[in-house]
Amino acid sequence: MEVKIERENAVVTAYLIGRLDTPASLEIAPQVNGLSADAGGKVILDCSELSYISSSGLRIFLTLRKAAAEKGGKIIVRNISNDIRNVFMMTGFLNLFEIQ
Amino acid sequence: MAPVPDQHAQDLLAQYQSLLPVYKQMADVIPEKLKGFFDEAGIIVAAVEHRVKSEESLAGKLKLKGGKYRDIFDITDLVGIRVITFYIDDVDKVASVLERLFEIDWENSIDKRKAHEIDSFGYLSLHYICRIPESAYTNPEHPELNRIRFEVQMRTVLQHAWANMNHDTGYKSGVEIPRVYLRNLSRLAGMLELVDDEFSRIRRELSDYRRSVQKLVASGNLGEVQLDGDSFKSYLQIGPFDMLSRRIASINQAEIQPVDLSAFLGVFKAMGFKTLGDLAALIKDYSDAAYQIACFQMGITDLDILSSSVAPQNLCTAYILKNGGGRAGLKLMLDALNGPSESNGFMADFLLEQTKDLPFMNK
Repeated sequence: MEVKIERENAVVTAYLIGRLDTPASLEIAPQVNGLSADAGGKVILDCSELSYISSSGLRIFLTLRKAAAEKGGKIIVRNISNDIRNVFMMTGFLNLFEIQ
Repeated sequence: MAPVPDQHAQDLLAQYQSLLPVYKQMADVIPEKLKGFFDEAGIIVAAVEHRVKSEESLAGKLKLKGGKYRDIFDITDLVGIRVITFYIDDVDKVASVLERLFEIDWENSIDKRKAHEIDSFGYLSLHYICRIPESAYTNPEHPELNRIRFEVQMRTVLQHAWANMNHDTGYKSGVEIPRVYLRNLSRLAGMLELVDDEFSRIRRELSDYRRSVQKLVASGNLGEVQLDGDSFKSYLQIGPFDMLSRRIASINQAEIQPVDLSAFLGVFKAMGFKTLGDLAALIKDYSDAAYQIACFQMGITDLDILSSSVAPQNLCTAYILKNGGGRAGLKLMLDALNGPSESNGFMADFLLEQTKDLPFMNK
């Protein structure tokens, strides 16, 4: 699992690459926690190369959402595959994020 | 050339100049403190304005009636604060906050609302002359702070608008205004007074409505309660979907993340539900079907987190499918909840595929 972070003006884009399972969630947690600091602005989670998400991965998304809600920012989830979209739908996460 | 003020006026102006920093501080600090107290009291005000009388304006006042004042502390409007409320009822609430905070000089305070004859209309405002009591605040560097009186004007936005328009006519300039204009202004004052009363009446009626809805929801008479923003909010407070959420969460011993469910109001209304009783019937009649959908979707996963929106989402899904809404109905629901998107069509197809063989679809 790899996370590439790009910052441009006030927008932070995190490219999530690989499988976001429980071990990967633990691995990327420090990087994602770092993104919470940017949650007052616009944070884009690009999932075009994310092949799987577990509950631990969903919790990471939720942590960012909470940080954004507290700071008045916005989390955008971009380019999710249909499988991951289905996971978002069945867990009720689909309407928690702006999906692009 | 401007006339030279007399000695008494000059003394008063000198006192004013030496106290000017204190006046400015009061004009800055008191409104901020007031805003905090209004927040605590739940009073929403449109604005709190302040000003310190300019030296030029004071000189003009002293020229007209300088002999009336023994010293600068006899002049009560050097610091002026104006609180503008949205509702007429709130003028009295603001006044009660002031009464708790300051010493009110009742002799010089005036309620212009009571000053009118029964057949006259015009300036309506409540003016309090206040002083900061020593028990509330003292400043050893400025002991005179507790001697300085200041004026607080309280009025509604409409009264404020009228006062400004009236002021613009320049009636104080000495130019005689034709009677017809004064009568028009007076008519307008009467109309705005009616509008102020109407706003307050509507607010009172809305509060009564909300209380009655809460009472009906609490008593279980849901069939009598129209489905709208207020009633749905009250209904959500009793957690109508909680039991189904817990049942769904038990599939994977999942943790439930509570989320705002207000977006479902539009979906329920689009589905033709008119009362909270209709929603209660939906929960009663479709909970098993909603649970079946969740079992099918989550049973083969190890997902142990879900949001509280799954229960109403699955209820809507089951209702739409059982009542012939099909793909179009599902897509409309998903568009309403997630924002319109082509991908909602894919999700609708997916839901159709997942549910087609579930027991509730074949009953």
